[in-house]
Amino acid sequence: MSGPRASAVAAHAVGIAAFLGVWELAMRQEWLSAAFFGQPTGIVAFLWDGFVSGRKLWIELGYTILGTVVSFLLGSVLALALGLVFVMFPKVEHAMEPYLTVLNAMPRLALAPLFLLWFGLGIGSKIAVGTSLSFFIVLANTVAGIRGVSQDLIVLSRSLGATPRQVFFKVTLPSAVPVIFSGLRLALIYSMLGVVGAELIAAEHGLGQQLAYLQATFNMNGVMALLVLLAMLGMVVTQGMTRLEKAMLRWQ
Amino acid sequence: MSAVAPVAPPAATPSGMGAISIERLTARFGEVVAVDDVSLSIGEGEFVSIVGPSGCGKTTILNLLTGLVPLTEGRITMLGKAPAVGNPDVAYMLARDCLLPWRTALGNACYGMEVRGLDERARETRARELLARVGLKGFEHKWPKQLSHGMRQRCALARTFCLDAPVMLMDEPFGALDAQTKLQLEDLLLELWNARRRTVVFITHDLAEAVALSDRVVVMSARPGRIVADVRIPLERPRHVRALQKDRHFLELYAHVWEELERGLGASAEAIT
Repeated sequence: MSGPRASAVAAHAVGIAAFLGVWELAMRQEWLSAAFFGQPTGIVAFLWDGFVSGRKLWIELGYTILGTVVSFLLGSVLALALGLVFVMFPKVEHAMEPYLTVLNAMPRLALAPLFLLWFGLGIGSKIAVGTSLSFFIVLANTVAGIRGVSQDLIVLSRSLGATPRQVFFKVTLPSAVPVIFSGLRLALIYSMLGVVGAELIAAEHGLGQQLAYLQATFNMNGVMALLVLLAMLGMVVTQGMTRLEKAMLRWQ
Repeated sequence: MSAVAPVAPPAATPSGMGAISIERLTARFGEVVAVDDVSLSIGEGEFVSIVGPSGCGKTTILNLLTGLVPLTEGRITMLGKAPAVGNPDVAYMLARDCLLPWRTALGNACYGMEVRGLDERARETRARELLARVGLKGFEHKWPKQLSHGMRQRCALARTFCLDAPVMLMDEPFGALDAQTKLQLEDLLLELWNARRRTVVFITHDLAEAVALSDRVVVMSARPGRIVADVRIPLERPRHVRALQKDRHFLELYAHVWEELERGLGASAEAIT
């Protein structure tokens, strides 16, 4: 099993090394302008400066992660709570639905200028954008998950004498967990998207703010380095959620 | 071999200790009369099957007994009590196994007792014992998805018998199984029931199953559901369903119930024209 896998990893490593080599060569020979594409050695040097010899990138990364996590938690908790209200009182859902649909259809990043005025240049406005994204995803999945519970299981539980509370905690909620969880995974990615997007527009800190600054000052090595960093961050987040899901939902 | 003629008392047979008594029960859903003036008395420890064409109101009667459908016309008492959802005297089993997919076999076997507030250690001991009796020893920690259909229904049987309820209501519990597995589980059910004879109301559309398992087979007509026959099954107990399949007496009784059912279908067809 490790044989084919190890050789696949090796093949990828060779491919990437070749790509980076050609890239580096193209810049050194000035086939392309490094001012537009950066160059691999420059990118590595930038990351080294930011993370090892200096501390600057750690701080920016920290701001982005903090904003993402807070947006995710806030959006998810609010959405779970409202989702429960919707399931318990369908009339509330019915009344709120058109407004929520409009809000959800709006590109949330367009709210960033407004949130910047309301919450300032700091992390507050980033959290507001991130939350506005994560909230709707978790809300939709919470309602769908709870509504999707098998009626047979409810009938059986009621016939056994389960109280509404027992039915909720022993049947409805566990059966909704997989659907809610896939919402949470998406919400975490979207929280990051919202935070970085808002940082790009205007911020004091964060990877998005750095990215905008480096772009404006034509530091292409820095821009490329941050793009790599953001891709890695996204991957770590997705992988982490997938692992957590697998561990929590072994019964699936 | 004793030649006992299959005698069919047409009306309900009142027994000395009525565990379940149904009097003049009628159930309507809007304009549709699902169950029409049904009276039935079931003795304690009696195994009674209700058979009939689909839509004859068999399941409605069961749902009225569990209290899941509210009673509007007629009277029902079970061990002296009116039907109520969650009545601790009753254990209920359906065609779908209704196992909670996020619980292991053991967790599912415990579920009914847990809802009814049994002490944790007591319920685990009992669940393990029942799982062993239904042939699931060694599978206690498997998830339902890892079990075959037959095993899942065995687990549901364990959950039902764990409750130790004096009345068991079963709605086609083996309806979704293949023929071979079905026979195995019918034998298993009889074995569990024989150990302590509780009152069973068993809904099925499989006449062979009804005859093999029951003390009485109640035959209902097509909609509106009425009782058209109430056939005693005087086969000796303990029975072995698989052995019965070739038994002459069993086959006679089966043929008799089949005639009654056809008569019921004919009668309702006449009523329509």
